[in-house]
Amino acid sequence: MARKLPVQVDTCTLCPRLCRAVCPVATGTGREASVPSAMAAVVREWQHGRATDALTWEAVTLCTDCGACAAHCHLGRPLPDALRWVRQQLQPPTPPTAPSPLAPMEGDGRWVAVECDERSWAGALADRLGEPVARWRTTDRLGAGALAWMPTVHLERVRALVGARRAVVADGGVAEVLDAAQVPYTWLVDVVPGLRQGDGSCRAGGTRPLACCGAAGPLAEVHPDDARRVGEAWLERSESWQVVDGRCRDHLRACGGTTVTDVIDRWLRGET
Amino acid sequence: MAEPTVVGVRRSERELDRRAAARDLWPGGTLDVWQGRGAPMPDVVWWPESAEEVAAVLGEATRLGVDIIPYGAGSGVCGGARGRVGAWSLDTKRLRRIGPLDADRWQVEVDAGVNGQHLEDWLQARGFTLGHSPSSIWCSTVGGWGAARSAGQFSSRYGVFEDMVLSVEAVAPGRGRFRVGEGGDAPAAWLPLLLGSEGTLAVLTRFTLRVWPLPETRWLRGYRFQSVGDAIGAMRSLMQAELWPSVVRLYDPVDTRVGGRTRPERQAAPDAGWWRRWLARVDALPAVRRRTLALPLALPGLLNDLADRLSTGCLLVVGWEGRPEVVTAASEAGMQLLAAAGGDDLGAGPGERWFHARHHVSYKLMPIFERGGFADTMEVATTWSSLEALYRAVREAVAPTALVMAHMSHVYPEGGSIYFSFAGRGDREVYDRTWERALEAVVRSGGTVTHHHGVGTLKAEAVSREVGPAVAGWTALKQVLDPGGRMNPGRLYVPGGPPPGPEALPSPLALEDGLLRVDGVADLAARQAAATAAGAELMWPWTVLDGEPTARSPWQTTAVEVAAQVDGVDARVGRGPRSASGPDLRRWLLAQPGARVTVAVTRVAGRWMGRGRPDRPWATAQALLRRDLRPAVLFVEDGWLYVGFRGPAAEAMGALAARWVGGGLEAVPYAPRSMPAGDLVEVPIDHPAVVAVTPHQALARRSEA
Repeated sequence: MARKLPVQVDTCTLCPRLCRAVCPVATGTGREASVPSAMAAVVREWQHGRATDALTWEAVTLCTDCGACAAHCHLGRPLPDALRWVRQQLQPPTPPTAPSPLAPMEGDGRWVAVECDERSWAGALADRLGEPVARWRTTDRLGAGALAWMPTVHLERVRALVGARRAVVADGGVAEVLDAAQVPYTWLVDVVPGLRQGDGSCRAGGTRPLACCGAAGPLAEVHPDDARRVGEAWLERSESWQVVDGRCRDHLRACGGTTVTDVIDRWLRGET
Repeated sequence: MAEPTVVGVRRSERELDRRAAARDLWPGGTLDVWQGRGAPMPDVVWWPESAEEVAAVLGEATRLGVDIIPYGAGSGVCGGARGRVGAWSLDTKRLRRIGPLDADRWQVEVDAGVNGQHLEDWLQARGFTLGHSPSSIWCSTVGGWGAARSAGQFSSRYGVFEDMVLSVEAVAPGRGRFRVGEGGDAPAAWLPLLLGSEGTLAVLTRFTLRVWPLPETRWLRGYRFQSVGDAIGAMRSLMQAELWPSVVRLYDPVDTRVGGRTRPERQAAPDAGWWRRWLARVDALPAVRRRTLALPLALPGLLNDLADRLSTGCLLVVGWEGRPEVVTAASEAGMQLLAAAGGDDLGAGPGERWFHARHHVSYKLMPIFERGGFADTMEVATTWSSLEALYRAVREAVAPTALVMAHMSHVYPEGGSIYFSFAGRGDREVYDRTWERALEAVVRSGGTVTHHHGVGTLKAEAVSREVGPAVAGWTALKQVLDPGGRMNPGRLYVPGGPPPGPEALPSPLALEDGLLRVDGVADLAARQAAATAAGAELMWPWTVLDGEPTARSPWQTTAVEVAAQVDGVDARVGRGPRSASGPDLRRWLLAQPGARVTVAVTRVAGRWMGRGRPDRPWATAQALLRRDLRPAVLFVEDGWLYVGFRGPAAEAMGALAARWVGGGLEAVPYAPRSMPAGDLVEVPIDHPAVVAVTPHQALARRSEA
């Protein structure tokens, strides 16, 4: 008895792997198993009971959910949706938890620096802008837990906290959530003179629909060697500074790259 | 399983990777996987990152007695990269360096594992193009193009893949690393044998390729012809008129009908087509979807008959690209010629629609499998005089088991290829029978069974029959490069098979093919004399050059068919203007006693020739080629630059040349001129010993360089 999939993968299984050139994992690793249609083929075998859960999990976690294959597909096949669904089946999601209480705003001003990693740059930004900047530190990175609660409680709390200020973010993940919550934000890169917006950004959200290799996500957790190769290949192709979030920054640094965050850090230190 | 001990080379024995390497894009294998029969998995997958690592893997395979299957992107459709239990798959995709680009000499170096589209994107960002645009460009590698002798959609202008190759680096079990072609440490005669060898001789690791500046303009147009025969005649006239189009594609009536290629763009009509929406909804039901096509495809005779009755007229797409002045002159002459041949001008629409959807054909095959059928394609080639007969023979052979349609997408002055598309009931037995009948029809018709898809396992028997005893040319090199027989065995050539039939004898010559048969040992004077006696002119006045194809341009073909006896058995290779039936064995066969060769001659009307004295005559000659002029005569003598053109656009091209040569050109009587014979090597353009130029190189005799 075949498993029922909400999104069929038959077309992708039969496809001559036409999306391989746009897949960051296939490009970066050279691994045939990471070509989206090869993943689809395993899923179809799993659907029909001819592939084990373990093999299928290994296959579907090679997808970074970047969506490049679906965007390229002239038949409009939403393969990432199918792969995401299979991942959910094979690894039940942890139940959503309420986000930790929001930290209070520190200081005040027209701008609020949203800091979600170990760096503290609100003060430097204030110096550079020549006006007070509020600091809001958040430890949950407004991540998955926040999203789960966003429609109800969390969204209102974030809005109330930011108020009429302009949020400044360095983190793609934070920007995405702020945007989803309809809280206006500005990228730090936009207020740092001399930096160019690159042609790629990790999880850069709807207002910046830029290419994202996604390798810093689940791929890095399940297939760390492949994630490193994807990052190296991404850096090879990048010819301008990139806006990255904390996770992506760490990933690309591990792959030997210098990220825009490093440049921002230098700017904040007054070195440029 | 033998345990490999190569340290440091990335490899995997995981089922996930072995499964992925188990199949390429051979539709028969796809049908097997689709129907749950799976594909044979190799034992290990290797990802070497350098030629040294390739050598290490091959050394280990030799030590352990393991077969090697080179694997690029697996886009081959003939089963050449399929897995085999017990073998190792050597995946080349980590050989991934692009560059450097030599923007002055129009050359680029690139690793074999680079994706075709990635290379083209990289070149275009720098103002260049390879000009190679197979419909598989998104899903194939440069190494695969070389291994299976790929051809792209603009082959009439840029040539097929081997025309682009200046040198190849490779690794073989019996030789280690070597380079062949320009700057090579191995014999130049190996180059045409390595290209098309499908991994049976060596692993190709790196290429030096010709590139071209991005064309300044592109001109595309559609013409409608009443019959395939009429359209074939028009294409022949076009290709023999020396107008050098970039695209010439003919769709037969069924393909024209099914593709809706002559219809205007469909307008969006949200309220119309309720029945289409209903059909789509029904088709989405899994139980229905799996069988939608199974019933109609079980009645192929009826389907073919119906398709024939509903289809009238065929579409020819023709195009030029490059320097605007040259495109204008050539396309104006071409339009007159096509109108005179009975073509109805459909305007730019069909051509531009084709251009924008030129890689989409690959998306059309999956829905047929999904609905209970199979789909496959076969590309064959022959000379003009045999083309229509070949077309009809294959249609007749395939019609009892599959719906068949065709287009002709690669044409040459001497003939062209036919690309058949089949769709039949999704049954392996029907699939195999369809192929048997199709290949038999091609062999009997005297054509080549593969123009650009290569051989693999699917066509190995047919190609072995086609090549016959000339396979000895490949075997001799195999003994040097792969004495242990570990490289992709069972693909390309297989032993046994019936003895050669009458199709192995020299083919009859027809005036319309523009070919003349001469002795293989005939020198240039003898060839010229034979051409004159036949009331014609040698199209490319030279004998086979050492170093070919590096010393010529893509549009120049020195020999087409070579026939000889090998150990008393007849052999004939070059059964079409171009073939991908393994390596190019023509040079080897030409060296056999009693060889006969067909060479291209021209009887086209229209001649113009002029001469001038520019400051740097050879540099000026090369500049004319780089501005897309294609003179039939181009040489320097006593400081004079001579430029001659043939065909209906000869005067217009001459006028352009006169405009682009400093000091202009004065008209002189047209006189063909032989190319210098001998061993030519590249030299700087202002070298005093230059004797010839191509757009990419200046050439001098080795003894004088």
